[in-house]
Amino acid sequence: MHTHSSIRTLDELKEFLHGAMQLEHATIPPYLTALYSIMPNVNQDAAQILRVIVVEEMLHLTIAANVLNAIGGTPDLTRPDFVASYPAYLPDGETDFEVGIQAFGREALATFLKIERPAARSEHLKAQSPLIHRKSSQHKTVLGSHPRNKDLHFYSIGEFYAAIVEGIKELEEKAKREGQTIFTGDRSRQITSEYYYSGGGELFPVFDLKSALDALELIIEQGEGDGGGIYDDDEHELAHYYRFEELVKGRYYLKGDKPGHPTGPPLQIDWDGAYPIKPNLKVAEISDGSELREATVAFNHRYGEFLALLTRAYNGQPNLLLEAVPVMFEFRNMMLELIRNPLPGHPGLNGSPTYEIGKNTADPYAAHRAEAAA
Amino acid sequence: MSDRIETFLGLSVELTAFSRFDLLATGLAERYLGTLDKVVGGDTTNTLLAAFAALPPPGDGTRARALRATILGSELLGDVARSLIKLWYSGTWFELPYAWTQRFGAKPADATFVVSPDAYVEGLLWKAIGAHPAGAKAPGYGSWAYPPKIPAFPASDTKADAVSVHLQNVGIMS
Repeated sequence: MHTHSSIRTLDELKEFLHGAMQLEHATIPPYLTALYSIMPNVNQDAAQILRVIVVEEMLHLTIAANVLNAIGGTPDLTRPDFVASYPAYLPDGETDFEVGIQAFGREALATFLKIERPAARSEHLKAQSPLIHRKSSQHKTVLGSHPRNKDLHFYSIGEFYAAIVEGIKELEEKAKREGQTIFTGDRSRQITSEYYYSGGGELFPVFDLKSALDALELIIEQGEGDGGGIYDDDEHELAHYYRFEELVKGRYYLKGDKPGHPTGPPLQIDWDGAYPIKPNLKVAEISDGSELREATVAFNHRYGEFLALLTRAYNGQPNLLLEAVPVMFEFRNMMLELIRNPLPGHPGLNGSPTYEIGKNTADPYAAHRAEAAA
Repeated sequence: MSDRIETFLGLSVELTAFSRFDLLATGLAERYLGTLDKVVGGDTTNTLLAAFAALPPPGDGTRARALRATILGSELLGDVARSLIKLWYSGTWFELPYAWTQRFGAKPADATFVVSPDAYVEGLLWKAIGAHPAGAKAPGYGSWAYPPKIPAFPASDTKADAVSVHLQNVGIMS
């Protein structure tokens, strides 16, 4: 069996788990933006599906933080590069594909399907290293790359997570041989269900090998499904890939359906029922001094504050997650307002959240960077 | 956007004291202009927009007074403008007063009605009082533990004009 792991030290594992948090978070802005681009009173099926999925991505982010905490790490969502620069890139076999901020529509759905079903390669190719060397521009956010070398890409997100699973197993095995464990984290730092209501799945504490593997399994299963099945085994829940596929096919899946052939009730999609936001908008493209620009910067600033709040919640103050709930609803309102405003100088296009965190405002992370550099 | 909708937005900013961004953020500007056209007719709507366009420029000390005299104080336009304010704040068109219909004739579409389900949700009154419309835009579990967020009082020149209009209106009514 192939046991080649790219992860050799605990510090490396921590960086990989930070990478996993970054990756899970990176899906949230595209999904949320598509969700809130939907016009009132239309596309209710699509809105419901997007909402369920984005909530599960938030769960995945929290699960990754739990695993990182379990091995004595300190989750930090305020790192300057934590929020992807959009369009960001995800590995798709030999190439990357773009993940951007855009309105709900066919193009957005095609991207979402790719996010949720990473490329698979045939068995004999799996014996090769999961890492592929591919030169990336310095300014690109390449998700699922090696934390120490942005030019080393995993073949797929599935293989990125497989490397983490292997790394955890190997490092724990090695520690056990020396009478130790890698699961030295303070149990009180774990985020559990009492801090996380209606969160799209169970949130359990991670404190040993089994709970860590269960946690990672949940992330992988909810995304791409379990071994090609459309429903996951325990929850009877449709994997994200197939939820998005329902929208493309215009029909719901039923139990027992074969992948690609939903036989449930039809659902209505109005492909024009979304505000025409300018894809991957940046603050710099919005007229200086306009109210839209001011509101866009205000949103980014608030989002940065929110990530700082999450960081505190993930570092021993889980009760702060309850405080984070109203902030998320506040985002919704702020995003809706940006998306409904026409973009000055771009007839037919609307504004959008830009998710440029820590830019265009008084830099809230300058202190952090100074500390890191010291 | 057309000049007509721009003028309508400019008028609405001064009537409601909310910013152009806030008004566009409701997603209802064009529908509200359409509501005016439908209820009082394109001619009266155009008269209202023209009266607004003819005001002294912003920053001119006489602008607020002129707005009060030529729009809010106008027999034809005053009640329409007041119904427009109520429309922005509540999402509901309120039927024009009896005196207005006696003077200018009843309009078939002039009844009290909610413009659309989202018009109720996007009423400016919710934002003005830092609350959310009952049954929509829920602010999240536990949000009741925090004080309401009231938007900052408008500060820019044009907005200050709008505020002074309101204060003078209070004076008229007392």
